[in-house]
Amino acid sequence: MASDGNDPDEALLAGVGRGDPSAVRTLLDRRLPRILALARRMLNDSGEAEDVAQETFLRAWKQARAWKPGAARFDTWLHRVALNLCYDRLRRRREIATDTPPEQVDTGPAPDAGLIGADLSKRVEAALAALPPRQREAIVLCHHQGLGNIEAAGLMEISVEALESLLSRGRRALKASLADLAGG
Amino acid sequence: MVMMTLERFEDLAQTYGGEIARWPEGEREAARALLAENAARLSPVLAEAAQLDRLLDLAPAQRPDAALIGRLIAAAPQPAAVGRRWIAGLGAALGLSAAAFAGIAVGVAVGRPQAAAPVVVAEQPVVTAVDTSSALQDALAEPSEL
Repeated sequence: MASDGNDPDEALLAGVGRGDPSAVRTLLDRRLPRILALARRMLNDSGEAEDVAQETFLRAWKQARAWKPGAARFDTWLHRVALNLCYDRLRRRREIATDTPPEQVDTGPAPDAGLIGADLSKRVEAALAALPPRQREAIVLCHHQGLGNIEAAGLMEISVEALESLLSRGRRALKASLADLAGG
Repeated sequence: MVMMTLERFEDLAQTYGGEIARWPEGEREAARALLAENAARLSPVLAEAAQLDRLLDLAPAQRPDAALIGRLIAAAPQPAAVGRRWIAGLGAALGLSAAAFAGIAVGVAVGRPQAAAPVVVAEQPVVTAVDTSSALQDALAEPSEL
């Protein structure tokens, strides 16, 4: 996906390439939380999410000196690298799961109802984790990461119509599994 | 402005959620117009979608901890990399000078055993100093370009 020539990270990235410590810090402040949140929601595992975020930025540091402005927005590039790393891990999990039956995630209401705070958060996280990965990816990119439909579809290498289908199916499934919370 | 059907409005709410601002840019204006004309029917559609949005917002994000940030800062390109190139340049210059000095010293010592060290030692520093200062200038010039 080509950049529109107005990449807000371009100057920072040049600073990173020169070894400017303040550019490194600012770029991490701006982008690391987004990438870590993306990996966490895709993988539902804090340790793996941290590994993915770390590897993504290590690759970014290698690219910093050779970064070609205009080829892609840096944020889009980061998302692409992080998503690829997430899918590597999800694939590995599937391979392992062929030998070991996966633990079923119970996304239904807790027997004692009245969920608050952390419990509610866990319910939502479990429901998101139970979605097929592509539906989860579509929802995380559009809802949580706030990407536009064209950018999200480009990252997923699908059409906007296919993205909308994934979003719609994913939200329907979430609505059903969280019906007791959504009151619907 | 392209007209929007009620069905398309409902589809968009179920797809992108209850905030029209997050719908595809090209359809927002038509959606707002349709909502204004059909508020009684479409407001509940948006409210229901927004309810799921709020639940989705509860999916935990993870804040980077200090250790991760520290590792990434340590691994980032460092200004010291520039310093290392400077030192490498200086080291190479000094190494060449030392080698030249040693070579001449050995040559003279072999050729003129009696005159050996004092003469060579007296002459050689001049050669060494010139080479080193030239290499030093080259090496020193590098950081200023960055």
